[in-house]
Amino acid sequence: MNSSGASLITIFLGLVLINNFILAKFLGLCPFFGVSKKLSNAMSMGVAVIFVMVLASIATTLIHKFILVRYDVEFMNIIIYILVIASLVQIVELVIRRTNIALYNALGIYLPLITTNCAVLGITLINSQNNYNLLQSIVAALGGGMGFTLMLIIMSGIRERVEYGDAPAAMKGLPLAFIIASLLALAFMGFNGMI
Amino acid sequence: MTDTKKEISTGKMFWKELIKGLVVTNPVFVLVLGLCPTLAVTSSLDNALGMSAGVLFVLLGSNLIISLIRNITPNLVRIPVFIVVIASFVTILSLVFEAYLPPLYESLGIYLPLIVVNCIILGRAEVFASKNGVLASIADGIGISIGFALSIIVISFLREILGTGSLTVFGTRLFSIPVLSESPLSFFIMPGGAFIVLGLLLALFRWLGILKNE
Amino acid sequence: MEKLSIKDKVMKNKAYPVILLTLVVLISILLLMYINSITKAIITKQKEDKTLAQLEQIFPDMDNFKFKEEIYIVYRKEDVLGYAFTAAGKGYGGEISTLVGIDNDYKIKLINVLSNNETPGLGTKIIDESFTGQFKGLGIDELEIKSEGGKIDAITGATISSKALTSSVKEALRFNSEIIESSF
Repeated sequence: MNSSGASLITIFLGLVLINNFILAKFLGLCPFFGVSKKLSNAMSMGVAVIFVMVLASIATTLIHKFILVRYDVEFMNIIIYILVIASLVQIVELVIRRTNIALYNALGIYLPLITTNCAVLGITLINSQNNYNLLQSIVAALGGGMGFTLMLIIMSGIRERVEYGDAPAAMKGLPLAFIIASLLALAFMGFNGMI
Repeated sequence: MTDTKKEISTGKMFWKELIKGLVVTNPVFVLVLGLCPTLAVTSSLDNALGMSAGVLFVLLGSNLIISLIRNITPNLVRIPVFIVVIASFVTILSLVFEAYLPPLYESLGIYLPLIVVNCIILGRAEVFASKNGVLASIADGIGISIGFALSIIVISFLREILGTGSLTVFGTRLFSIPVLSESPLSFFIMPGGAFIVLGLLLALFRWLGILKNE
Repeated sequence: MEKLSIKDKVMKNKAYPVILLTLVVLISILLLMYINSITKAIITKQKEDKTLAQLEQIFPDMDNFKFKEEIYIVYRKEDVLGYAFTAAGKGYGGEISTLVGIDNDYKIKLINVLSNNETPGLGTKIIDESFTGQFKGLGIDELEIKSEGGKIDAITGATISSKALTSSVKEALRFNSEIIESSF
């Protein structure tokens, strides 16, 4: 059945709110928990990830349709997708270094780490699994990426406040971040059934 | 060194690297790497076991190969080479599971191919296997995998019991807790539950002094 | 005077990194193609067996099927027992995928919920026989929940899941009946 008949709005909102990459699908957690408390860094990181996700989705959807399926070598998808992503990140890194050195320094080591961000490979796999066409893949990448960025921004804001609180030593830092994420996940469950 | 002394010291080194992966460099609770699959597959014990086996296979394979070719791999292309090696092992794993263990393949979903970007594996390749001998790398791979396996088994144990009231392994129900199985706390098999279990375990281990505080 | 071994000379060559990478990629591709050739047949057979099992749940006395234009034509010997197709609906937590089997009069024989993402314990009740059994023998006009004029009792506490499933089955029936009518 043509399940790729899902409308674009459904795909987009579904990925931002209901199947949020961080809170529901557990993709992109490393930068999420390591995010700085500065809002501007969280934003930069998020935008960089969205950018790579969209480019990767375009490239991999085309490769999937015109090479993998056509020549019946779908099992090569893992290798090819990750190599495409690694190359894209290299290119993006080069471009940012040439055009906006401040951004390059702000992102630091997190820029090359986008390669191993589950969210990027994740969206390419989701696109192939659901057999999305090019437009749907782009929308899905935007949705997934924006959901990820949204959570990054929320988390950076919360952690800033939590710093001033009085938590038991064992809880400080990561454990508290996990509890916060759990509460956020619980809250976002309220969006179920919305679309 | 006489031959027996060399053997003993190699043996000791092997075990040292292996045990290291359990506590000192426990990938889940200490290095806090590879969170994505950790949280996703711990909703059931079956998934956790399957993922552990998968990670063991890939980590062992990639550590072995990368250690073997470490001296002929120039720095410039080492990351792409690592990626290709790891991705190959993951693809083999995926095909094998799809053919011989279909229910596990389906329930692991996209988290199976995502092993390729699991920071644990790339991390060990970069930090250890590319700089150490084959035997040490194998030991490291086994140790880290066991550490990973134990960690996610503990988490999935808790989540499955609290979230469904019973424990089922590969189709055979091990046991059921009477009151809990009628009204299980399904929150724990949902994403929110995963975060809270991991967070509380992390805090517990730190409080008990097993892990260092931040 | 330093004597460079052959290995050092090779490794200092500017093209070496690329050559090594290409070599690694080629070896990987060959290895994967080999593994794929072994597992491919098993995987294809499994998918067929799975489809057969799903269809047999609806048509127990079938013996084979054909797949044409996204519709399964179910046979017993030479006779067409009926047809089957998948219905996709937007449920509460995600997509609900159902296999709908109909007889030659376009009445539902049985439905088989293949996958869903509904709330455990509530929405997931749509896979129970007590819910799906209601669809037996219904025609397209009766495919609504009772409060909207049809014959399906929605599950208490899971109205959205019930509605989603029902409307997806109705839509799929409408869509595929037309195809069967016109092309088969």
